[in-house]
Amino acid sequence: MLTLRPALHLDRLGSVIAVLIGVALFASPFVTYRANRIVSGEGRLLVDALPPAGAVAVIAVVLGVALCAVLAQRPLVRLAAACLGLVTIFPAVGFSAGFVTPAGNTFARVSPAIGFWLLALALALLAADALTRLRLGPWGRLAALSLAAGALALLLLSGAWGDLSLMKEYANRAESFWREARQHLWLAFGSMLAACLAGLPLGMISHRVPALRSSILQGLGVVQTIPSIALFGILIAPLGYLAANVPLAAALGIRGIGAAPAFIALFLYSLLPVVANTMAGLAQVPADVTEAARGMGLSRRQRLVQIELPLAFPVILAGIRIVLVQNIGLATVAALIGGGGFGTFVFQGIGQTATDLVLLGALPTVALSFAAAIILDAIIDLTRRGAHDRD
Amino acid sequence: MIEIEHLSKRYGETAVVDDVSFTVDEGEIAVVVGTSGAGKSTLLRMINRLVVPDEGRVLIDGQDTATIPEDELRHRIGYVIQGYGLFPHRTVAENIATVPRLLGWDRRRIAARVEELLDLFQLDASEFARKFPHQLSGGQQQRVGVARALAAKPALLLMDEPFGSLDPVIRGKAQDDLLAIQRRLGTTIVLVTHDMNEAFHLGSRIAVMDQARLLQYATPADLLTHPAEPFVEQLVGTAERPFRLLSFVTVRDAMEPGPADGEPLLPTASLREALAQLIWRGRTTLPVADASGAPVGRISVEGILAHGRSLS
Repeated sequence: MLTLRPALHLDRLGSVIAVLIGVALFASPFVTYRANRIVSGEGRLLVDALPPAGAVAVIAVVLGVALCAVLAQRPLVRLAAACLGLVTIFPAVGFSAGFVTPAGNTFARVSPAIGFWLLALALALLAADALTRLRLGPWGRLAALSLAAGALALLLLSGAWGDLSLMKEYANRAESFWREARQHLWLAFGSMLAACLAGLPLGMISHRVPALRSSILQGLGVVQTIPSIALFGILIAPLGYLAANVPLAAALGIRGIGAAPAFIALFLYSLLPVVANTMAGLAQVPADVTEAARGMGLSRRQRLVQIELPLAFPVILAGIRIVLVQNIGLATVAALIGGGGFGTFVFQGIGQTATDLVLLGALPTVALSFAAAIILDAIIDLTRRGAHDRD
Repeated sequence: MIEIEHLSKRYGETAVVDDVSFTVDEGEIAVVVGTSGAGKSTLLRMINRLVVPDEGRVLIDGQDTATIPEDELRHRIGYVIQGYGLFPHRTVAENIATVPRLLGWDRRRIAARVEELLDLFQLDASEFARKFPHQLSGGQQQRVGVARALAAKPALLLMDEPFGSLDPVIRGKAQDDLLAIQRRLGTTIVLVTHDMNEAFHLGSRIAVMDQARLLQYATPADLLTHPAEPFVEQLVGTAERPFRLLSFVTVRDAMEPGPADGEPLLPTASLREALAQLIWRGRTTLPVADASGAPVGRISVEGILAHGRSLS
């Protein structure tokens, strides 16, 4: 007899996600409750972390998402399911904080626990996988990023997370948070800009003078191998000397510790990707293109500006992307020598064993790197337009 | 008129071009042929000073090219290379506009010129102007390459294996197109190739080079009938010599009066084509008629053979 039932197709990644969701929902604490900021806490399962109706609703929605992850094949459906899950659990964890904290208790702290993070991971995986399958163009990816950023801003500004320990740490430090944020961006972007200003000409020179190529690359390669803390240490002596003996340096705020050595270290780390990619970008300009440009009477400068740099641009941008993502992460370490940035909260938090303070520094850093990577990837795609080789 | 006088180029001990002199008259196509490594490309690149000669000089309309600033000289000389070197990040229109833009033409004049050239090369402006090179076929890329070289109306066009990367089917058509455009514009061309058929097809004069030296510079017919050296004779190919000669003679020259049956031939067709038609149709004679279809005489196998014998 003929069976009309379509064959059931189980998605492999979806199955893993469903298992993750199952573990997160029923076997891991959703939030951690602590009597005060420092003591170790106790986990609360989702069923205990929300009023019964709320808990049932969240569990129903998330299980529905898990089912979608296993069975649904259309990427758009999978993406919608993941988004639905995310917009359910994020407000839920904020609401749970208010629910778990005894009324009037200002010392108690509630943080998202492993169950929440597992759920967030599973749903983010599902969303990322769906976005990849959708094969969004650069504009689509930028739009998706802005939507996500908007949703996050809405979540934070609405006060839905106000009772979470993370936001309480933020509320106590709102002023220094934004100051360190500016410092972090200044360190990451400023050192990247400086590296571009120095690295682009260096890359162009090495492209033109092959004799310089290997020595420049080797020198910068050695810099890359020095661990960041060691590099800070190396810089303390010369910068301290400079500050003590050159009044101008001291006036500019250059000292053995602080932002100056951090900035210089980040700058030095940034040089290799910029120089190497500038060289690689210029080297991949087809020989017949430069020959034709020369034959038509474009001067050296015109060739560089009109032909070689535009054709090398996507590769150079790829180098800048590496630098930016690397710098946003590395700038965290600057706090170790008093350079400021989000690292300040990370190291304070480690010192006080206050996990949420560590997160206050770490989460914005991760979000920034992530956003920078997506934005630059999209720009690279947009500039690649005509730069591909003839088929 | 291009006068090449005693040009030489050495890299270390080896001479790449050794004391080469020849003259190309206004509106002629001079084809430089030879095996690879004979110094053809270097010779060509010395004309627009991409390679600076060690000795000798090049005069364009009597002016020594060494006295003209390099970039300015190259703006006045079209240059087409084997891969064309189209700028991949620029549209077809922008590619063609390269030299006019360098010369500071105003926008309207550039746009008009681009359209004129696209038209000349049978590329629909509305379709092709905004395309990027990678969206074009090989033959279209080749035409854009030549159009770009002709954009600023250069008196001289240098071409280095311009048909080298085309497949044989398109190549013949591209060569005919170039001939037609050259006749229309009267541009003087110096073209480098290693393909003897191409040289005979295109050249009003052929320069044969071997091991850095110019062996012979002559008209195609002269090259066939009076090869200066055994190498030239070998390159020309003795077996094909009569057929090549026949391709330089038109039906009009070997025509005889009288009627004949069959599909008429044009008086401007070559004897080679006529012979091919006679063999293929299995006839000994075919009528000759002018473009309007009026009969003007006939052509016979006997007549062609007699004419062929008189050529050698």
